Amino acid sequence: MKKAAAIAGFLALLALLVALPRLVSSYKLLTYTRFLVLALMAQGWNFIGGYTGYAAFGNVAYFGIGAYTTGLLMIGKWHVPFFPALAAGALLSALVAILLGLPILRLKGHYFAIATLGVAEALSQVADTWDSVTEGSTGIDLPLKTEGEFFYYTALALVTCGLALTWAFSRSKLGNGCVAIREDQDAARMLGINTTLFKVIAYALSAVFAALAGGLTAYQNIHVTPGDFFRIDYTLQMIIATIIGGAGTVLGPVLGAAVYQLLSTYVWSKFLELHPTVLGLIIVLFIVFLPRGLMTVLGSKRQRGERPFRASDLLANVRAHRVT
Amino acid sequence: MGGAELGQIFVNALLLSGILALVALGFSLVWGIMNIVNLAHGAFIVLGAYITFFLHELLGIDPFLSIPVAMLALFTLGWGIQRGLINQVIRAPLLATFLLTFGLELLIVNLINFFFKADLRSVTTAYSGTGFTLGTVRIPYIRLGALAVSLVLVAGLAWYLKATRTGRAIRATGMDLDAARLTGVKVATIYAATFAIGAGMAGAAGSLLSMMVPFDPTLGGGYTQRAFAICVLGGLGNVANVVIGAAIFAFVDVFVGARLPSLSRAVTFAILVLLLILRPQGVAGKRV
Repeated sequence: MKKAAAIAGFLALLALLVALPRLVSSYKLLTYTRFLVLALMAQGWNFIGGYTGYAAFGNVAYFGIGAYTTGLLMIGKWHVPFFPALAAGALLSALVAILLGLPILRLKGHYFAIATLGVAEALSQVADTWDSVTEGSTGIDLPLKTEGEFFYYTALALVTCGLALTWAFSRSKLGNGCVAIREDQDAARMLGINTTLFKVIAYALSAVFAALAGGLTAYQNIHVTPGDFFRIDYTLQMIIATIIGGAGTVLGPVLGAAVYQLLSTYVWSKFLELHPTVLGLIIVLFIVFLPRGLMTVLGSKRQRGERPFRASDLLANVRAHRVT
Repeated sequence: MGGAELGQIFVNALLLSGILALVALGFSLVWGIMNIVNLAHGAFIVLGAYITFFLHELLGIDPFLSIPVAMLALFTLGWGIQRGLINQVIRAPLLATFLLTFGLELLIVNLINFFFKADLRSVTTAYSGTGFTLGTVRIPYIRLGALAVSLVLVAGLAWYLKATRTGRAIRATGMDLDAARLTGVKVATIYAATFAIGAGMAGAAGSLLSMMVPFDPTLGGGYTQRAFAICVLGGLGNVANVVIGAAIFAFVDVFVGARLPSLSRAVTFAILVLLLILRPQGVAGKRV
């Protein structure tokens, strides 16, 4: 009964999202598209950072690879249509993630984080200096496409597929294996899980999502430069969105992306000059009071039939994680 | 590359290692003891730089004399941040503290930006830009002074951690929280002290940097990254590792910068990633 209500609610929400371009201005639609693209990136990061527990701090590298591959295939001598070009970018990103993942996924904790950060930095500089292909810091220009609805619906379709994929992943042997790796890698290995393979697959999945987001953003922005598409902000946004929503949950990244985009847009309009300050404050408050994300408020407790979330639980959260 | 040029590069790298060691010292202490990668470290450095700048600009205090003031101010701020915020989530998953310090960095840097604007500033004294020549090698006074101050602080902290009761309690807490608690160490206080010392060291580094390079509120981010790289290179665990890491980083940075200026960041990071893969415990660190 409860499940049916949840499914009905979900379908109603989806119908609302499909009808949205008829209901809001094209400027507002841009904000919603940005939310969906962020959700897509967060969904990808959730595989490696949420389920597998590897703090990947360089996923913007795959965002950039996706953007450049899509862009370069669409212009020049190939003139590939958008969707094949987008797929090619995703494929190339997956390939790079597999090749890079094999060595760097051996690292743990902060060391893995800095290695991925280093890879993103290095790729950014390669895009900046490899003039003959990427046109250096001037960047490349894609064919013009102005229909905002196209980008919105593409992003919506991708996020919906992402939800389905994450749901299937969380119930599969692969997903459970990744969670086992997150909880205790040595124990997982002893249970017969091929930890290297599982980690590489999770990492490649996260790269595919980032590349799709990158390709879509490239087409929407028309102009692709290393400075715009290898910005560490993208990595941070996808991580913040995932954490706010709840890492390692199916709905968390999408919920987190919605909250982040909502707050960010609201803060932009109210405190233009203090925008990053307020954003910083929001992150701090979220981490202190809900270090495991919003899904802890909505999800697990209710499923187990316990009492619903109360405001006092915020303080209980704090008490659970501090040292005296 | 002639002998004279090589000598200058060598001396430049040596002078750079000192300040880099100081930059990474507090970062390494907080990471090693509390298992927190403090992304707000760079923001503390910036605060140190602004304190020195305004003491010099408004009161005419010599920048070297303002170092203790910056250290004390940042020590106090660090204590407050640790007790008020970080301590609340210290046992949450690793990413929580990571993001918390990122949020703090955003907050502090943009508050500075809001109050003092993004103007590029620098501390200029009578002896700025002067120096002496040793053979063909030029040595600026300020860089030499910065090296001396860095060495004193690095050695001082090493001594403090080794010889004093609080220092030993800090190391014990880093080794085993529960065991330290069982022997009567007040862990929360020790954590606050550790974080405060780390912030104080960042303040000193900021004071020195304000004399060496023009700065704006975004100065810190690059130094957080450098501190991270240095800790990875040297390995965590003791002060000597920080010095070794800083020296390696400075030499790679200066040499690559002299030969391949356009790719210096890519090459530095490539070396870092390669090293991480080959020796994840750091050059000087021991395998645990």
